[in-house]
Formats: sequence, structure tokens, C-alpha cells
Amino acid sequence: MKIFWLTNVRLEKGFIYEKDRIVATETEICHLKIEGDKITEITNEIPNTIANKYDAHGQLLLPSLRDMHIHIDKTYYGGPWKACTPLTNGIFTRLEEEKELLPKLLPTAQERAEKMIELLIKNGHTHIRTHCNVDPVIGLKNLEVTVNALKKYEDVLTYEIVAFPQHGLLKSDSVQLIRDAMKNGATLVGGVDPATVDRNIEKSLNTIFDIAVENNKGVDIHLHDPNTLGAFTFERMAYYTKESGLKGRATISHGIALGDLDGVELNEITAILKEQEMDVTTTVPINRATIPIPTLDKQGIRVSVGHDSITDHWSPFGTGNTIQKLGVLAERFRLSDEYSLTTALKYGTGGVTPLNEKGERVWPKIGDDATMMLVKATCSAEAVARRATVEALFFKGKKVESKLEDTDLVRV
Amino acid sequence: MTTSYWLTNVRLETGYIQDEKGVYETKTELFHLKIQDGEIVEKQPQSFSIPSGENTVDGKCSLAIPAFKEMHNHLDKTYLSLDWKSPIPAKNLKDRLRMEAMELEELAPTTKQRASAMIDLLLSRGSTHIRTHVNIDPYIGLKNLEGVKSALEDYSDKLTYEIVAFPQHGLLTENVIPLMKEAMRSGAQLVGGLDPAGIDRNIEKSLYEVMNLATEFDADIDIHLHDRGNVGFYTVDKLAEMVDAAKWHNRVAVSHAFSLGEVTVPQQEEIAAKMSKLGMSIMSTIPITSTLPPIELLDQNGVHVYLGCDGFYDSWGPYGTGDVLEKVTRYSELYRKSDERSLAQTLKYATGGPTPLTKDGEVAWPLAGDKANLVLVNASRSAETVARTPEREAVIFNGKVVFGKL
Repeated sequence: MKIFWLTNVRLEKGFIYEKDRIVATETEICHLKIEGDKITEITNEIPNTIANKYDAHGQLLLPSLRDMHIHIDKTYYGGPWKACTPLTNGIFTRLEEEKELLPKLLPTAQERAEKMIELLIKNGHTHIRTHCNVDPVIGLKNLEVTVNALKKYEDVLTYEIVAFPQHGLLKSDSVQLIRDAMKNGATLVGGVDPATVDRNIEKSLNTIFDIAVENNKGVDIHLHDPNTLGAFTFERMAYYTKESGLKGRATISHGIALGDLDGVELNEITAILKEQEMDVTTTVPINRATIPIPTLDKQGIRVSVGHDSITDHWSPFGTGNTIQKLGVLAERFRLSDEYSLTTALKYGTGGVTPLNEKGERVWPKIGDDATMMLVKATCSAEAVARRATVEALFFKGKKVESKLEDTDLVRV
Repeated sequence: MTTSYWLTNVRLETGYIQDEKGVYETKTELFHLKIQDGEIVEKQPQSFSIPSGENTVDGKCSLAIPAFKEMHNHLDKTYLSLDWKSPIPAKNLKDRLRMEAMELEELAPTTKQRASAMIDLLLSRGSTHIRTHVNIDPYIGLKNLEGVKSALEDYSDKLTYEIVAFPQHGLLTENVIPLMKEAMRSGAQLVGGLDPAGIDRNIEKSLYEVMNLATEFDADIDIHLHDRGNVGFYTVDKLAEMVDAAKWHNRVAVSHAFSLGEVTVPQQEEIAAKMSKLGMSIMSTIPITSTLPPIELLDQNGVHVYLGCDGFYDSWGPYGTGDVLEKVTRYSELYRKSDERSLAQTLKYATGGPTPLTKDGEVAWPLAGDKANLVLVNASRSAETVARTPEREAVIFNGKVVFGKL
């Protein structure tokens, strides 16, 4: 078993209070023994050992990041710049474009997907949930590309692949294709706007959950439909989650309607979602009403961030930098004091933060997977507010390195 | 570096082309630029042979775009260069100001050091012009002005700057007007102001005193206006009236101006027409927590809109980057500017006007005779630059590399 010491690591130790208010974070320099994929010792004493050492130079250790909503199969990233074309018919302009674009992108799709994965590991991610187009245009070809790209990186990250009927599960007659996708590497059943796209909420949801049950998999549905229409769809989705016995395994992506609801309406819907332990992923969009992330969190709904797109025919914006996204989240919800900034980290780590609300260290603990990152900051709050750079990433005790020979992506 | 050299192999935009579906693309080519005495004096295609004996600096195929203007900052407030500190929550603006007053004394000894760190950051992101507001208030007096001025003077070969005397704690309180006068005699170049309604509680008197100071010192004006809704709108309208009366054309800016985004479109058009006629401008920091002034409508009506990063890493706010280009990226994302020409044209908000191409694809920059103030970026064209916020390879001011290595 490989053993090494990660020395001079800054760990958060507790909060510093002034008159009952958290004003700062206390940290200490520690040394971590890594055996195989686990952290087996945490000490303040410099280890007297001949084992290998990796000096962290006082950088802050944080849990690594998770991108919970991205499309690595459909991107311009890694290729030449391309702006979006002007929109003439909303989402349908983009779907129409895909008929020509997807086959055109296919020959370079795996290379692009790998470059996207590289960007994500450079930015500290060790988990990716990607939605992969499964549609009559491209069939299962993008899925094959996605599986191949992710398999290449399975020693440095974990992943989930959502079979995503982008052109409408019912609308584009993709039911059989999705069934096939579930036998060919997809790990979750996807969907998109049962009302607006499929024009049959019940049938669309029923089919999604049927396929999930057949394959004993979870679901993750893109829901952009607004206000009452979105809320109704959430409620029906919760119903099918319960009927299918998929409690804790159903995700709402985007959930735009959550940003339209308020007060009693919002509380009613979150209670329904909570009962089925449904979670929500969001890109923290700035160009529309954002879903009320801190409120959802308080009500027990897990919210995770994802980048969705880095640059593609839907949007030219995107960074793949989750720490930056958490900074935008903090700014958007005016999380600016030490404690609020500190807690913002959880939306990128699957809920893990070094300190709990009492200021006790809950991460890392002896026995934890050595899956973590070193960042240039003195505490979580600073990392989020000032967009700390990721200096090193570890996955199950292994330092994550680029697999690309040439990472100069942009110059054309 | 001698006064004359060729900046070789820089990518410049040469026009737009349309594909068979009518979608615009940007054409670019590589050029050599001859730079002399701070100006671009010659522009030659890559095939041109540079006369032997002339100095060259390789631009390595980076895209050249005009340098940026940071038009709203508070160099005196940042914590940069000090240890991390998060802001203390404030109940309201009054509470925030009270806490700031308590902290000013503590921060005063490091003003120059902190301001310098902020200038370095702004410069590294491509701004070669900084407009900074500096607190002039009963607590700090002129001490912040001294520190900021001294820091900026050290950078006077790397950028241009403007200092606004800013009555952060109100213009009409205590002895602030005499302090403002002293500030104007001690290096401040513009007269600032703050929320004539919300803070000074006397819109007309507050504006009148600002105008008075401006005329006394022959200075431009830049007022912080956070007042919301119609009270903010009335304030801009009243200011316009005074600008007209004083004939202070092309000399007055309103910072933030959220209120202009909160009135009806006819009101927006009416105020835009007035502002345009008077040459008044708007400074925005593109907040995502507040209404924005109607930037596109103002721009289309001839009102100049500039961007800034505001103060950051300070007692007011912990986030920020010092990157005006990122503000443009954010603006484009907010307003869904995502096709080639829309993206490319929004670059003007970072540069304070110039873009490499006009809307119609005419080459507008750089031309022989232009100032050699430019940024080299790792991107293929302006549209990509705006969408992707690429790395800055080098920043050139007056022909001199002031950030990065070439």
C-alpha cells in the first residue's frame, strides 16, 4: 500500500467569536498521513519518517468539488471559438441546430469531452454528473463518447451519466433509445420539461420513472417550466418518486419555478420535495430570478451547483470554476460575513464543509477518503470570496495530474 | 526599451464576414505595429519586412484590444495586502457607515500600501486608467487622499488617473464642505457626492453645493446615487437641470444610478435624451443584487456608459476581481448578448468607447496615430474575449509594457 505524508497543511479548527458573532476562522498547521486511499493520521507533530512527503506549504485543505450538472458531450470547449447564433424561436432554435451540429461535432467529441474533464480537474473537481444527449439525431453515439472519455479518468474521479432526451422523450420518440442507453453506460434517467417539450406531463414522468425502476436507477430531470406549471410538475415528480420507491434518488435540475415561488407556496412545495429527499442542481444563473438557494438549504433540500455549459451553441459563457461559481452564489445572496461565506462551500462539495455550525471540525477525519484539494487561501470564507486557485487535487490518496500533453487550449 | 520598436505578430480584427446563413464571424490577421513616443505610428501586415536594425518585441499571435478604463473604484478602502477579513453584517446603510467610521483610523497608516496593491491588481487585468473615489469625511479628513495620491503618483508612468473627493458620510454634515474644498486644493480632481436624498436629506441643497464646488474649482463631477425609484430619478433630473444652468456639459457623471432602471421606459427615454444633450455619463459596477440602469437604452440614446469594479475586499464587500473585462462578460451574460457582433460590441464598456471594429465591420482601432495603450489577450477575437474573459498576456501603456512579459 502506498503511504505518504501531506505536511504543512492548513486545517480549519474553529470559529473565533466576538460578542456571540463569528468574526474569523481559526486554523492550524497539520500533517496528514495517507495510506492507500485513506487519511490515517492527523497530527501537529512533524512526522519523523522516511516515507514520502508532499509539502503543502501552509495551503488550505478543503474537500474536493463536484460538478453536478454539465454536458461534456456537447461543447465547443477545446476547439475554435464559436459564438451563438441569434435566437429566433427560443429553445427550438437550438434543438433545430443540433440536427446539423451533433453529427458535425461527433468526430472531435471525445477529445472535447476530455478537455472539459481536464478543465474540471484543474479546478478541483473529483465528481462529475454529466447529461448526455440521447436523441434520434445522434442515437447512442454521444453516450459512447462520454463513457469512453470518463473511463479514461476513472482513476481520478467518480462520475454519473444521465441519459438525456434533449429533443423530448415523447416528442422525439426517444423512449427506446433511453432504454438502450441505460444498458450502455448511463447511470440515471433524464428528462426535459414534460409540459413544454413533451406536451404530456403525466405520460412523460410516468415513462421516465418506469425506465428508472426497470433499471434500478435514479432520475434527474431538466425543469425550466416557470411558476405554477413548474411547481405542478415538481409535485407530480414527487408523486412518481414515491410510487417508484425512488426516495432520495430523484433530482430536479434548474428548477426555475422555485425562483418564482414565495412564502406559503414555496414552503408547500419544499415540504413535498423534502419528504421524498429530492435534491436540486442549479447553475446559479444571473440573468433570471435565481432559485432561493439558502432558503431551500434551510428547509432541508440539498442544492448542488453545476456549470451546465462551458461554451456551446446554447451559451458562450462558462468557466468550469466552481469556486468562482460559489463566489457568485455568495454575492447573489449577499452572503458576506465570515460564517455565511464559510457555509457557501457546501453547495460545491456535496454538503461537506470542514467546520460544522458549532465550529467543530468535521472534516477531514481519520478514516476519510483522501479526496481533497489544496487552495491558496487562509480559510474557506476567503477561498469563496476571493476565488482561491486550486493548487493541488487528490483523489483517494492519489495526486491528480493532467493526462493531456498539451493543455494550451485557447490559442487558435 | 528605446522609444521606438515594432510590436510584431499581434492579431487584429479586420472585418466581419457572413456565412451562407447570414451568421456573422470576425476576420482577423496578424500585423506588426510600430510604436514610437507612446503612439502607434505604423501598422503593417505580417508579410512586411521590418527594416534591419529596428527593435522588435514579439506579440506571439496574441489578440490586441484597447486598454481598459476602471471608472469606479475606492482605492482607499480595500483590505488588499492585509490579512483576510470578512465584512461585519450591517443593519442598514447608517450602520455600515458607523462601522466604517470606526475602522478608518485603523486602516489609515496602510492606505498607500493597500491602494498600491489594488492598483497592481487593476493593472494586471488591463486597466490603464483609474477613476477612484476617496473618502473625505469628518473622521479621516484628508489622510486617505494623501495615501491614495501618493500611491497613484508612483504609478504615473503606468496609467492615468482621476481622484474624486467623495463625501462618504454626507456632504451637508459637520465641516465636510470646507474639507472638500481643502481636498480640491490638495490633489482631488473631481467633486463627488452621495445620495442627496438618502444621506443628505436635502436633494436641492446637496446638488447645489456639489455644483458650487465644481464651478469654484473648475472640476468635473461624479455623484454616487443609490437612491431608488422615483426619488433617485428626480435627483438625476434635478442634477441635469443644474448642469444645464451651469453649462457644465460633458463634465458630469452619475455612479450606480439603479433608479434609472426602476422607472417607466418613457421616463428612461426622457432622461436619456437630457443626459445625452448635456454629455452626462453613467458609471455602473454591474451588480447582480440590484436593478441596473438601462445601459442599452442609455447607450443607444447617446449617453456614455462606463464600468468599474467599485471598492472590494473591504468592509462593504468581500468579493471582486478588479477585472473590468469580467464586468463586461457579466453584462453580456445578464443581457444574453451571445452572438458574435453583440459580444464584440460590448467590449466598448471596458475600453471606455473604442472597439476594434464598428458595428458595420469597419476597422476603427488601432489606427496610426492612436495612443499605444493596449492589452494582449489569449483569445482569437473580441467576441471570444468578452465571452471567455481570457488571460491577459501583457498590458501596454504609452508604448511601455506595464504588466506581463513579452
